[in-house]
Amino acid sequence: MLRAAAVAEKIGVPTVSIIGSAFLKQAAQVSRGLGLPLAIATYPGAPMVDSDEELRAKVERNVLPDIIRGLTSEAALDLDATPVEPQPGSVVFRGTLDEIQEHFHRQLWSDGLPVIPPTRKRVDAFLKFTDRDPDEVIRVLPPEGREASILSIAVNGVMAGCRPEYMPLLVAIVEAMADPNFRIESAGSTPAWETLVIVSGPVVRELDFNFGQGAMKVGRQANSSIGRFTRLYLRNVCGYRTPPGTGDKGSIGYTFNVALAEDEEYARGIGWPTFAEDLGFKAGENVVTVQSVVCISPPVYSSGDAAVNHVQQFVDVLGRVFCYGSHSGVKRGYWHPLIVIGPGIAGVIAGEWSKDEVRRYVWEKATMPASLMRYFCAHTAGLDLDLARLVEEGTLPSYYAASDDPHRPVPIIVKPEHIGLVVAGDPGRNQSRGYMSNNAQGGRTSRRVELPRAWARLRAEQRDMSKLPPRTTG
Amino acid sequence: MRMKNAEPRHEVLWPLAKKAVPAHGAAPRLPDLSGKTVGELWDYIFRGDAVYPMIRERLRARYPGIRFVDYCEFGNFHGARSREIIAGLADKIRAHGCDAVISGIGA
Repeated sequence: MLRAAAVAEKIGVPTVSIIGSAFLKQAAQVSRGLGLPLAIATYPGAPMVDSDEELRAKVERNVLPDIIRGLTSEAALDLDATPVEPQPGSVVFRGTLDEIQEHFHRQLWSDGLPVIPPTRKRVDAFLKFTDRDPDEVIRVLPPEGREASILSIAVNGVMAGCRPEYMPLLVAIVEAMADPNFRIESAGSTPAWETLVIVSGPVVRELDFNFGQGAMKVGRQANSSIGRFTRLYLRNVCGYRTPPGTGDKGSIGYTFNVALAEDEEYARGIGWPTFAEDLGFKAGENVVTVQSVVCISPPVYSSGDAAVNHVQQFVDVLGRVFCYGSHSGVKRGYWHPLIVIGPGIAGVIAGEWSKDEVRRYVWEKATMPASLMRYFCAHTAGLDLDLARLVEEGTLPSYYAASDDPHRPVPIIVKPEHIGLVVAGDPGRNQSRGYMSNNAQGGRTSRRVELPRAWARLRAEQRDMSKLPPRTTG
Repeated sequence: MRMKNAEPRHEVLWPLAKKAVPAHGAAPRLPDLSGKTVGELWDYIFRGDAVYPMIRERLRARYPGIRFVDYCEFGNFHGARSREIIAGLADKIRAHGCDAVISGIGA
């Protein structure tokens, strides 16, 4: 809403924006990030829990005077002076490991966990693994308007506990998150979605990602530290900080996701294209894909030697879990569920069905009454979900307005092709899991990973330098 | 003999990045809203359909000749077509002759 107001201000039309009192700090941050002082009319509390009488009283007592002042008085325009900040790449602290942790916590530069000190030597080690200039800027990122530079990626990669050789993936992840399709400007929204990184290609094995049993658990360095990196980057470079910071308005939230890697050999072995191939990439290309996740299903157990036994279970479990929040994506014409299918289950399904047939079945069978979707929507933000109007304006396909029956079944997923399918997990167990995006925010976005020209040499040098014993398997 | 504290000290780099926001001045405020045209921008959430009519009613009572351009004229800048609507906003504001804009509702 402040971005809409900024459009008017820039053409010389004064504005005032109505903001709930709990969102004032975030509004100030966005205003600073836009470089524009914006007048605010404050609504005390949350309109969604006020009676009609309270709503009227607050509008008359608080909102109206602010509107009049905001449109008529220069005094309503406050833009805090930006404090002088360090230069990128400058040393900002000297101390012991404990002192550094304390300093970073106090500056709100950490996620609450200990960080690896980003020394010049460590950062340089990361920068060796990219051919990009450290000063190159991928994009200026909202809400704080900071430059997503290659250097900033290296510094936060060190802090997150990544290895230098992950740097090409980190660059690709930031490029993907910076793509307008990802809608990074909404990464601090109240549902509190988190980024999920999906890694595809030969780097999965080369960099030792876990794609098997426990694939989505903290425990393997590549999966864990890259997942942590995305959260740290959103916090430090975008400015999405939880209290006592500002910018991240996630109401309750959950922790970051570890990176997901596909068991591509298994997928190919059963005759299915890989996840990256589904997205248009060639076999053998290294790719990262990012998307939002706002809700994770329970583990879905399914049994039997027929494809339908398993896919119907996806419908029965994921269809129920996802039906609650689906209105948020349906009203935008797009959201993108991801189903991580256990290898054993994928093998049974692939014996009969293609991935497109799986998508088609889930899309067709996972429905809910339109009236219930409308009810859930109204309780979220007071919106009257008018499916017929969304069909008329071209946001939704015609089947959402196939009849006037308010209780008619409507798909919870807008189109079959919005469903992502990844083969990963324990080959010895019959389990799958579903991941729900936060409507079109955090839109599924992929980038090819560019390895440095000296990749083979750099990796060989690392192997030569390693004097440590091999990893234990016990 | 006392052991000297040999714990290493590290010099660490700034983990944030340079701000690159060009500063803009806000539009001049209006001396009076009487006779002015006020555009309504709404994200179609948080009860704006109740809030905007109250605002219209009270401002009309206070400022003779004030006119409103209904939020329906601009569309939902938070919906499926948000990018397209924001991109066309400046032209629509000009076309409707808006002297001021109220934008809501963030909560």
